[in-house]
Amino acid sequence: MNPLSAAKPQSNPSLQTGVPLTENAIAATAHDLEIRGVSKQFGSLMVLNNINLSVKAGEFIAIMGPSGCGKTTLLRIIAGLEGMTSGEIRLQGKDITHLPVHRRNTPMVWQSFALFPHLNVQQNITFGLTLIPHNRADVKRKVQEVAKMMHLETMLNRPISQLSGGQKQRVAIARALITEPKILLLDEPMSALDPHLRVRMQGELKRLQQTLDISFIYVTHNQNEAFSMADRVVVMNQGNIDQVGTPTEIYSRPATHFVAEFVGNNNLFDGEVVSVSEKTVTVSCPQGRMQALWHEQPHQVGDRVTVVVPAERLSLASAGTPGENTINATLRGFEFMGSQVIYFLETDTGYEVRMIRQEALDQSLSIPINSKLQLSWKIQDTILLGEQIQ
Amino acid sequence: MTKQISIPGKRSRIRWLPQDNSLLKYICLAPAVIYDSIFFLLPLVFLVWIGFWSVENYRAVPGFSLANYSDIFSQFFVKSRYAYAIAQSLWVAITTTALGILLCYPFAMALMFLVPERLQRLLLVLAITPFWTSYILRLYAWQTILNNNGLLNTLLIQLKWVEQPVTIMFTQWGTRIGLLHYLAPIIILILYLVLRNTDRSLLGAARNLGATQWQTFWRVILPLSKPGIVYSAVFGLIISLGDVLSGIILGGGTGQSVLGKFPLFSTVILNEYAASTNLPRTSALATILIGIMMIILVSGLKLTESES
Amino acid sequence: MSTQRKQGIDLGLAIAGWGYLLLGFLFLMLPIVTLIAFSFEDARFPTFPWTGWTMRWYQELLSDGRLLQSLQRSLIVSPLAAAIATVIGFFAAYALNRFNFPGKNLLSTLFIVPILVPPLILGVAFLGLLSRLNLQGQVFSILLTHVVILMPTAIALISLRLAQMPKDIEEAAWNLGANEWQALYRVILPWAIPGIAGAWLLAFTFSFDEFIIAWFVSGFQPTLPVSIYTFLGANLSPSLNAIGTIVFGISVVLLTGVELLLLPLLLDGRSSSREM
Repeated sequence: MNPLSAAKPQSNPSLQTGVPLTENAIAATAHDLEIRGVSKQFGSLMVLNNINLSVKAGEFIAIMGPSGCGKTTLLRIIAGLEGMTSGEIRLQGKDITHLPVHRRNTPMVWQSFALFPHLNVQQNITFGLTLIPHNRADVKRKVQEVAKMMHLETMLNRPISQLSGGQKQRVAIARALITEPKILLLDEPMSALDPHLRVRMQGELKRLQQTLDISFIYVTHNQNEAFSMADRVVVMNQGNIDQVGTPTEIYSRPATHFVAEFVGNNNLFDGEVVSVSEKTVTVSCPQGRMQALWHEQPHQVGDRVTVVVPAERLSLASAGTPGENTINATLRGFEFMGSQVIYFLETDTGYEVRMIRQEALDQSLSIPINSKLQLSWKIQDTILLGEQIQ
Repeated sequence: MTKQISIPGKRSRIRWLPQDNSLLKYICLAPAVIYDSIFFLLPLVFLVWIGFWSVENYRAVPGFSLANYSDIFSQFFVKSRYAYAIAQSLWVAITTTALGILLCYPFAMALMFLVPERLQRLLLVLAITPFWTSYILRLYAWQTILNNNGLLNTLLIQLKWVEQPVTIMFTQWGTRIGLLHYLAPIIILILYLVLRNTDRSLLGAARNLGATQWQTFWRVILPLSKPGIVYSAVFGLIISLGDVLSGIILGGGTGQSVLGKFPLFSTVILNEYAASTNLPRTSALATILIGIMMIILVSGLKLTESES
Repeated sequence: MSTQRKQGIDLGLAIAGWGYLLLGFLFLMLPIVTLIAFSFEDARFPTFPWTGWTMRWYQELLSDGRLLQSLQRSLIVSPLAAAIATVIGFFAAYALNRFNFPGKNLLSTLFIVPILVPPLILGVAFLGLLSRLNLQGQVFSILLTHVVILMPTAIALISLRLAQMPKDIEEAAWNLGANEWQALYRVILPWAIPGIAGAWLLAFTFSFDEFIIAWFVSGFQPTLPVSIYTFLGANLSPSLNAIGTIVFGISVVLLTGVELLLLPLLLDGRSSSREM
């Protein structure tokens, strides 16, 4: 862990007053990548809307969101493959906003790997180095190092067409790393791989990043990937950053409606605050009255809020346990997911509720479909979100 | 060294983006544009301009006059009778192209749907083979075949299908056969490619919904191949209108057709040019032909544009 | 595969289809076979019935210096014209493939149009220009005209190949530090080679087929239309059959090359890029 990043203040006063700082001082804030005010307008569409993000040195950042949210555009802007309407980008303190793509040293691992079909593995890897005057022995040494790191030593002379998906990915990564960049961009590199390979590669990729101690910017729409590898996750939606935080923070404390819906399995109930007490907030929803802990969620009577309940926090109610919220719903079906079972239920108002329980299928099957159940969850598991701004 | 930090939010522009117009773009396009301008556009423009020159004392005088065109149109129906030549050319071109498409379409269909996948490529190459021979010599060979005592007639008489030799030479039917033989490989290629790119699942879906073979063809395949038909038509018409050799070698210069015994417009132009008496007027004639072709080309483009 | 197809097609229709294919090939091949056959017939004019076999037209051809000389000239002019057209065409195709700009469609049309203009008109127009430059009647002039009519094919074929190129490999080259020129030379060009080779072969064949015109233009008769006109009026020598057969033979060799390179582009373009 970089001691500098731990000591970094939350906001740099120098930036706000416009007092010039020396480059060394900027570097000392130990941010590998700073994205400031980046916007991209396309006709009347705001593809990216005032994106601000600082990536610490050696950090694994995952940018996550549905297709069309702008995550890939942002990555391409960082690489210099696309332009932006306004904003600036700094790499280790140096302003790279005006640099063309081939001078940025922000290598990318493509979704399709984009390996050069007419070159073999070794030639692909050394491509970047051979563009400028180079020392043959040096290059050879670097290839050996990087090949060893990516377990490609035995394949250096193989043509690209003979490689498997996983091997291609490793070549793509080796090719990017050989230029010793400070930052690596990855655009959904796992989507072309088999599922079981993906899980293995996740671990390898994380290990690689930690060994090299460089920043990885990883774009994906897959939550599992993002959460298992990233130090911090950025959730994007329609050109905006909805939330930035550690995986745990995002999962347990979604900051917006979108994040609550997109991440994990959450049930959302819209309602209005009807009473506030010392300890609790009571919300009235069509599905019933619910309570949340007050000190975590400051609200006033009359606020329109959304109650968020993770599906894993629901369970079948045993009669009248205090400290728990309840709702009634009818069981409509199951989905069996290995060690988990997802229950699909419907309230009287026709609203879908999901419950996830860790149990075997035969236990679930003992409950007949269309039976009326009462579900409960602990008050402290309730999350409240302010009114959604449309 | 101190550097000013820029205030966030300032308007910024990367100096070079991949999509931008760079020097490379102009350098890449320049040779083709320059070459075509000098050796294609320039001669054509020059040709059209000559059509506006006037003739004084048997010498061509640069200038701008409509004398040639008024001369041509005054002779449209009499003396040189250009109108009849144009009509003949259009008639032959339209019938040849229509016939060509009608005959090549089933061929392309058969190639696409009956022939096993592996053989298709080979047969397609064989179908394009005529391209690899000299056009003139092919016409010459057709002469041997179509002559009154040629291959075809000899065969027909031997089989006792006819008693007298069928006259094909020196009629526009001869011209058509020559043209067809020139056009067929390309039209087959165009139609085959269009058919090949048709979404096969649409055909399967149609059959599933109970369509007969005929209905599947008429209502699914044919409409989808419309662009290919339009391209073939434009190509066929323009080539037919511009062709000189078939009309002369097989059509005998003034081949007989339904319309009468008139020469093709292209032949007229060639003859006038060879006689070399009035270059400006010949150029004006050529310009008229170009004009007709442009109309066909533009119509064809408009037709395919409206489809997509 | 074919049985599946046949399930959707009546047997009767299938038989009719094959019969039609046969007839079609007969039509297409007939003049060529006639050409080759009569180059061996022992008669001044091709007639029926067959009079006898002979090689004397080929012998006459070999002793006729003019014809051979022209053949030689073609074998120099055609590859050269094809090469020039291919090089110019490659750069133009690259620019069209990569950039979008106002007037792009117009430019594309300009590049295609030369192939639609009939040689008759092109010949007239071209000679009008050349006679002013006193360049008419030379082999060089053939070279210049041919490049004009070969370029559209070259551009079309190379564009076809470039269109199949995965878009990201050029971006990847830039991303790894290559500037535009380096990327063009080290990534785009290697990819385009099959298209370039196929385009060259096809252009070579087109230009080579124009042998007859070259035979006259580079001979005694200076102007193109006059030459053809005279040729048609004169007696035809069966040696021409022999020439035609030789031309056909050379073309078949080129054809094999085209078939190996081009048709994969035309037919299976998608699958070859999947191998990436």
